[in-house]
Order: sequence, then structure tokens, then C-alpha cells
Amino acid sequence: MRVELRVFASLQKYRPDLAGGEPLDLEVPEGSTVEDVLAGIGVPVSEVKIVMVNGQQATLKWRLRDGDRVGAFPPVAGG
Amino acid sequence: MGSVRYERSIILPGWGQAGQDALRNARVLVVGAGGLGSTVLMYLAAAGVGTIGIVDGDRVELSNLQRQVLYGTGDVGRSKCVAAACRLADLNPEVRTVEHCTRFSAVNAAGILENYGIAVDCTDNLGTRYDLNEACWRKGIPWIYGAVSEYHGQVSTFIPGRTACFRCLYPVAQEETARHPRGVLNALVGTVGGIQAGEVLKLIIGLGKPLAGRLLVWEALPAAFTSFMLDRDPACPICGT
Repeated sequence: MRVELRVFASLQKYRPDLAGGEPLDLEVPEGSTVEDVLAGIGVPVSEVKIVMVNGQQATLKWRLRDGDRVGAFPPVAGG
Repeated sequence: MGSVRYERSIILPGWGQAGQDALRNARVLVVGAGGLGSTVLMYLAAAGVGTIGIVDGDRVELSNLQRQVLYGTGDVGRSKCVAAACRLADLNPEVRTVEHCTRFSAVNAAGILENYGIAVDCTDNLGTRYDLNEACWRKGIPWIYGAVSEYHGQVSTFIPGRTACFRCLYPVAQEETARHPRGVLNALVGTVGGIQAGEVLKLIIGLGKPLAGRLLVWEALPAAFTSFMLDRDPACPICGT
């Protein structure tokens, strides 16, 4: 199945190719979780604190479906 | 009373003298007078919010001036609270400021929030946001969340009894892991702080639709706004049912 992934803020240091705002289109095995997908592209899941799937809040354990759009955020705390 | 000072606000559709009067009677607490606080405080004061509380226990440092545009070089070493109040008095002497020259915490949260109708989060750590969230939920006070890091900013309006709360967004406490302070695009605090100030004014006057139940994200490098839905977590220890 195919999913679309965006990583935000400081997570982009692990994938500078995603800093331009374009999503990464990925072919992943059926039954993959958000955690599986992030680990698979080299983003440490321990640094991910907010997960969004299709514009709504989800979790790292969220099981993805074909066509899902995933966003991952680290803690953002500055002011 | 009409005022030349506010005429460009008063002529706005939906604002009028009634809206301006509502602002004059409003009491808003701004927690943190750093980058976001600089923007929020100046716009609230310029708009004519009648009473503005300022919470900050720090002093102005030279490295703050890159983004904390409330202060000048001559303010380095001064209490941020005091320097901010002086700047706002110059900007708009019709506004009353209340200085809380201390660090906001779970210990003093309830006392500081007393007598304020809206709070604005301009803090720089998750722990203080948890304290602000819990205290606002207990008192039923809406608060406007804002956070920045490098080229990334986030905003949301949390309304007790109506929306998810900050603990639903960040269920697990963990600060940013950087060992050194992160950089921040200075204009980003203007973008995020400006949205926060606008949300405060809208809430007071009852204009439009608040950024409630949504997380607005601004990525400066690709110049992209994205909005995500925030649902209440039924298991949330603060707002769950």
C-alpha cells in the first residue's frame, strides 16, 4: 500500500530532503504502523511526540491504510 | 467613547464601538514576555485591551533582542516585566498593565490567573504549558497556545469544556532534546504571536470562528500553513470524561 509522509520542525534534520514541504510517497507493507514507517525512513520514533493521520491526531501505534497521509512532529516548545 | 486611536479597528465589519468597549473592559494575562510575548503584548496594548497582565521572572539579555522586539538595547539587564510595562505604557497609555515579575508555575498559577478572562501562552517550555493548561481548565479560562522552534510554529485556541486541551496534544511530558538552545527565525515569533493576538481579540469581541479544536502549523521554509483537527482524548487526565 502507499502512504504519504511529512515530517515537521527539527525532525527534518533526519530527512533534509523533506524540508521543502513536499511529502514523501512510500510503498509500505500492509498492516504497517506509523512507527514502522518512521523507523523505516530513519526518523527516531523516540523524538516523535505528535502524530497526525489524514489531518487528525493519531498515535505511533496507529495502523495505516492505503492512501493515508501522515504527519510527525517533535516537541515544539520555544517561545 | 470614540477614539481616533482605535478608528481603524472600530470601522472594521463586526467590530464597532461595542467591540472596542469590550476590549477596554477585558483582562488578558500574557504568560512569558519573550519572543511571542513581545508580539502579543504590543498588539493587545495597541488594540486597547484594558488590562494586560505580564508574567515573566527573567531579565533582558543581549541575545534576546534578535527576536524580542519589545525591548531595546538600553533594556539589557532590566526586568522583562518592568521593561515591557514601560514600553506598553508608551505605546498606549490608556492600557493598564499588571506586572507579575515571577516564573509562572503550578504553585502560583491559580493566584496569578485570578481576575483574568483569557490567557496567552508565550512560554518557552512544555512544563509551564502543562501548568497553564491545568490551571486554566480548573478555572474555565480559554487560552491561546503558541510555540516556535527554528522555522516551525504552532498555534491553537483551547477552550475548557469545548475543545481538546494541551494534555490531549502532548500526553507525555518531554522537553525538546537539544542540548543547546535552538535557533529561531526571528520573524516567526511575529507570525505566530500575531495569530495568537488576533485570536484573543476575536474571542473578546466574539468575532468569527476561533482556532478551537484545530492546530495551525506554519512552516516558514516551504511557506506552508497546515491545519490539523484536535480531538479530546477521553482518557486525558485534565479534560477527559
